Amino acid sequence: MSILIDKKTRVLIQGITGVEGSRACREMIEYGTKVLAGVRPGAGGQFVENIPVYDTVEKALKHHPEVNTSLIIVPAKNVKDAALEAIFAGIPLINILTEYVPPIDSSVIVAWAKEYKIRVVGCSSIGIISPNKCKVGSIGSAEIRHMFKPGPIGIISKSGGMTAELASVLGRSGLGQSTVVGIGADTICGSDFADILELFEKDKETKATVIFGEVGGVGEEVVAEYVKKKKIKKPIVALIGGKFTHMLPSGTVLGHAGAIVSHGKGGYNSKIKALRENGVALAGTPEEIPFLLKKILKIR
Amino acid sequence: MRNFCYTGAMKLYEFEGADLLEKYGIPVPKRQVVTSPQDRVDISLPCVLKAQILSGDRKKAGGILFANKKSDLSKALKNLFNKTISGEKLEKILIEEKINGVAEYYISFSFSGSFRAPVLALSRKGGSGINDAFIYPIDMIVGLEPFFIRQALSKSGFPSKDINPLCDIILNLWKLFTEEKVIVAEINPLLKTKEGAFFACDAKIDYGKRRSIEMMDGDIAIIASGGGASLINIDALLEAGGRPANYAEYSGNPKKEFVEKITQEVLSKSGIKACWAVGGTASFTDIYETMKGFTEGLKKVRPKPDFPFVIRRDGPRTKEAQKLLSDFAKKEGYNFFIYGSETPMVETAKIVVALAYPKKAKIKP
Repeated sequence: MSILIDKKTRVLIQGITGVEGSRACREMIEYGTKVLAGVRPGAGGQFVENIPVYDTVEKALKHHPEVNTSLIIVPAKNVKDAALEAIFAGIPLINILTEYVPPIDSSVIVAWAKEYKIRVVGCSSIGIISPNKCKVGSIGSAEIRHMFKPGPIGIISKSGGMTAELASVLGRSGLGQSTVVGIGADTICGSDFADILELFEKDKETKATVIFGEVGGVGEEVVAEYVKKKKIKKPIVALIGGKFTHMLPSGTVLGHAGAIVSHGKGGYNSKIKALRENGVALAGTPEEIPFLLKKILKIR
Repeated sequence: MRNFCYTGAMKLYEFEGADLLEKYGIPVPKRQVVTSPQDRVDISLPCVLKAQILSGDRKKAGGILFANKKSDLSKALKNLFNKTISGEKLEKILIEEKINGVAEYYISFSFSGSFRAPVLALSRKGGSGINDAFIYPIDMIVGLEPFFIRQALSKSGFPSKDINPLCDIILNLWKLFTEEKVIVAEINPLLKTKEGAFFACDAKIDYGKRRSIEMMDGDIAIIASGGGASLINIDALLEAGGRPANYAEYSGNPKKEFVEKITQEVLSKSGIKACWAVGGTASFTDIYETMKGFTEGLKKVRPKPDFPFVIRRDGPRTKEAQKLLSDFAKKEGYNFFIYGSETPMVETAKIVVALAYPKKAKIKP
């Protein structure tokens, strides 16, 4: 099994005619993902990679009622609009790749998604991949798709770039992945670590999860709470970036919008302390992760 | 659990914040910005002089002075213009008419990652921070309606008489918060006069934008790729005994001109002992394109760097990129050490440290 996406996933791409949208479309099709339709207001009737484009999500769904996932790659200022269109159309999974979406817009998306019980992954997500089954978004593109191999480890990463790096480090140790999820590192995100961990908890294929976190926000601290309350029982190995940030002033914004230096809650020490105290295994480097996983899972 | 995405890099100076508040109809005291002790001051006495710096602790550092007489004013101006606070040299002073407050309040909007919503923070004790305030997450399906603000004010113990005027101010601050798309809009303190009028006496407005380069004190120049990988790598550099000269990061699929600009800027700092261009295995960053930008930036650095370069990157078009780099190093005479995903990112931290400080090195690249 896997979580969020698999062979039954049927994708709509909002923003399919854009540079990033059409590239993601091409690469998803090459990977075997079933992309059924695209939306671009004003471009109805066109085709991108032989995929029909519609003016509205409603119309796309009328012709392709099997669609169960929407990938959003539209300019940041249009993301709220596009996401609400997908939410109101009732598409159960929405993956938003666009970066720099104003947090006030993300808040509106998250509020309506909750109301309609729609799962949103992102904004600023690199995508989701269930190796050899399906991928949504830019994750595992082109030459690096072979780095994601099927297996028992779930990966959740705030960082897009780290998804391939982690998969390749695990792969070299013979540890494949059930699903790899880029959750993005915005202040307001659709799904955080704990939300996705709950899905891995129910997934039979997943034996352990790797999370890549970083300074800013309290997603990692929430994981520690979940482990403490035994909401998550499967083993977790965490790699947290930003130890050096004590050298930068509080408030400095790093590579990701939500990666804001804090010397208190949300800071590196706060996360490490919370995770360690609740028995989450901490890796100091990516290469330590497979070593810790094998020890925990008693794999030689 | 509380999470406040607070103070970011693109903060406004207090006087800029005051202008913005005024634009949104929030009352602020009469004020003037002066840039030298000789500037004519038109604000009536008594007045407050406030150093315009972005770091906190201004009050403790003596950055806020009061003047009752003309002689106080010129003395205070001279005093402030000679000051450096938290490494920031004073260039501007905000002079405001002094408001005699009978009460000081705290009001702010910011985002909470745990509520996944904007939050209104209220406190009847101005001056204290958000950590002592009452927090009200805003339901973004309804938006912020006046009844919600009145309820929040009432629950936080504000006097009945203040509820209507404060509600108006808060609605205006919300308008600013949402229209300017800032991550923090804070009034602290909001002073109440004995006549019952309100004045925003300090404001913190933060757009949450980042600078592409943060300078640090060390001597290993860093051009990192990937928001997450950059953190892991600099952590590893510190662990290996390296001293980062900066934090610089690009990700996504940047144009080569952007990488060129960062490269040039990072390497123009004096005293650099080595350069580390490091990133993970990219999913869609064109490695050839970004490395081309790197070499073009490098060509413009004067004097020509004779220190070693450690480059670790993988992803789309890596082979072409590696050939470009080695050809460039050979032709132009640079000392490049080039690695791909076969060498762990953090391993190259040790390599760059060994090259930067050869005498102390325990390992050889």
